[in-house]
Amino acid sequence: MIKRSFVVFLLLVLGVAVYEAFRQAPFGQNRIGDVENPQSVSAFYLKHSPETLHTANSVTAIVVNFRGFDTLGEVTVLFLAATGLASILYRRKEEEEAAEKGHLPQRIQLPSSVLVRTGAKILFPLILMLGIYVFVHGHLTPGGGFQGGAIIATGFLLMFITYKRFNVNHNVLIWLESLSGLAFVLTGVYGLISYGSFLQNTGWTGRLNDLISGGLIPLIYIFIGIKVGTELTNVLDTLLHTKPRRNE
Amino acid sequence: MVVSPVHLIAAPLAAAFLIPLLNKLYRDAARVVPGVVFLYNLSVSWILVNRVFRSGPIVEVIAGWKPPFGINLVMTPFSAVLVMLVSFMAFVIWLYGFRFKRSLKGGVVMYYEILQMMMAAGSLGIILTGDLFNMFVFVEITGITAIALTAFYRDRDGAEAGFKYMLLGSMASVFLLLGILLIYTQTGSLNMAQIAERMPAVATGVKVTALIFLLISLGTEAEMFPLNGWAPDAYSQAPSPTSAAFAAVLGVAAIYALARVGFTLYDHGTVSGFLIAMGFLTMLFAEMAAITQTNLKRMLAYSSMGQMGLAMIAFGIGSEAALFGALFLIINHAIIKSLLFMTGSYFIYNLNDKRLRALNGIHKRLPYVSFLFALGALAIVGFPPFSGFWSKFYILTAAGAKQMMPLIIGILAVTVIEMTYYLRVIGRIYFAKEESEPASHKPSIQALVAMTSLAVLIIVLGLYPDLIAGFLHRASMFLLDKQTYIQTVLHLS
Repeated sequence: MIKRSFVVFLLLVLGVAVYEAFRQAPFGQNRIGDVENPQSVSAFYLKHSPETLHTANSVTAIVVNFRGFDTLGEVTVLFLAATGLASILYRRKEEEEAAEKGHLPQRIQLPSSVLVRTGAKILFPLILMLGIYVFVHGHLTPGGGFQGGAIIATGFLLMFITYKRFNVNHNVLIWLESLSGLAFVLTGVYGLISYGSFLQNTGWTGRLNDLISGGLIPLIYIFIGIKVGTELTNVLDTLLHTKPRRNE
Repeated sequence: MVVSPVHLIAAPLAAAFLIPLLNKLYRDAARVVPGVVFLYNLSVSWILVNRVFRSGPIVEVIAGWKPPFGINLVMTPFSAVLVMLVSFMAFVIWLYGFRFKRSLKGGVVMYYEILQMMMAAGSLGIILTGDLFNMFVFVEITGITAIALTAFYRDRDGAEAGFKYMLLGSMASVFLLLGILLIYTQTGSLNMAQIAERMPAVATGVKVTALIFLLISLGTEAEMFPLNGWAPDAYSQAPSPTSAAFAAVLGVAAIYALARVGFTLYDHGTVSGFLIAMGFLTMLFAEMAAITQTNLKRMLAYSSMGQMGLAMIAFGIGSEAALFGALFLIINHAIIKSLLFMTGSYFIYNLNDKRLRALNGIHKRLPYVSFLFALGALAIVGFPPFSGFWSKFYILTAAGAKQMMPLIIGILAVTVIEMTYYLRVIGRIYFAKEESEPASHKPSIQALVAMTSLAVLIIVLGLYPDLIAGFLHRASMFLLDKQTYIQTVLHLS
């Protein structure tokens, strides 16, 4: 009882501190200032994404170019999370394989209905197309590599839960995943070699609002899209089922 | 091509993405590639350290946007010393673990090697970055890898340790993010130099709350007293090269981040008392817990926390001499504790028993490993001919110069506790009656090279501390000089 009230008391203290601190944060006010007299870095970003980078979506310009190094880090975090998951589940996969010779993977007990199967078949290519659209147009419309990749993985999830025997080719996944990650780093190295700064954009950035504009920004977002899509699919695959045998 | 700090991070990243492919072409690629990367990093950091000490700090702009608009890497003398240390230790630990789990094929070793390599890369990122949010990203990278490696052995204890670490680690991440958010709302910048410049204008309430959040999160990583519940489990359950890396790589980065927040973002005076008090509590509780341990790796883990506490005390005192001692201590702790974990793991590997009781008389079976362990144990307690002596000596002198008598008495008293349990282990190894059968696993040649080079370093640094003293003095002076940091970063020509 005493312990519990002590915990409640501590939580209250924490709550008051957080409330007091965030009460002073000027949410909803214009704190950006203007470029000549900037109060925060945002003014600079808003000016330079259309004018210098020719990127219509300034969020993308910030994520991929101004703070591209963070994004490379976040891609790595996802990659490491998938790797860590695989390292923990790896041996279980082997054990179960040995134990379950002659059984189907346990993920589905009953076959899905005709409705679900037909619907999934129709939706799957459309979902993939939407995903690709989202990351290809990352520099023009809301969304981008992470979102597009997640949409693609949703398409695969739909197929995994609908069809018992839907398999993805692991080799293709691993190649796509590694090469797109590597391509991201190499784009950075390209900037380092030709302009002297890691991840620096090319001088040629095209016309605002064109599909091919923003220099390297759309290219990097395509790499991210492929990487996130294959990675999340891989994670789902690792989580959902044990490695299926050839003859099924 | 001219080398620059970003190589230290880009090289391991590219390698991590490449390893799954290379592993398909060549079976042992996953074991070899990290070594190549670490060797490259070691040579890059050697060149950069020389450049920093010859011609001043290096500020590297990323993506071509000058600070505060883009992300930048800053290599001051202070971070240069730690970058060198982390690069070196990562290489030695890789060498030690080269034959790790040779019986296992392909896949799982690859995952282990990638995670282990990225832990070092993330730590280098934390030390190099000049941007607060970028630091958060690297803290995430190290956190994810450390958690996955803790749970690597898929037994009950490993899962428990991994889960504990995940809870505390993700809570720390949330607090770090909240702190950064608060700072950003007030200063409109994520660049550490600009934040440092604008911090005096920020309202006190917000400033203090943000500081508390940052200290909670970085304190968790740096094993500060009430937040270090993850550490003993994680150290003892992780694979042994990982335990060594927790002390020599992750710990270094965590204590660096704490120092950077305390000295650059905030004024040292604000955190001084807090760091001394928490550091002393950490040290006291850790060493008192260590003496009651019956498990070798847990004992070493608690001893690690104790050393971290001492480093916090030194940063808290904050005079130039104390910072010198703190840097010396971080270097010593990285080297010595790695050696202890490396040798200790060979005991455990041979005995198949983590308990201290099993160590009785093991020197007859593993004479060389026992000798190295004893050397490390004496060095970490601070016996004179070894390097551990100097770090404690400098910290105590610095405390003495500030008239902190109770603190000196406290540190010395805790050192007695430390000495007791290390000497007890040495006693078991050398003088207790043997009750076990002959050794079956001799150390691999790579592990022997790694352990011997660390032991040689301990003795050389103990006899000739002046070899690195000049570098450390300049490094600690630079940490104190906040204005130069701001000027260097914000006013690039």
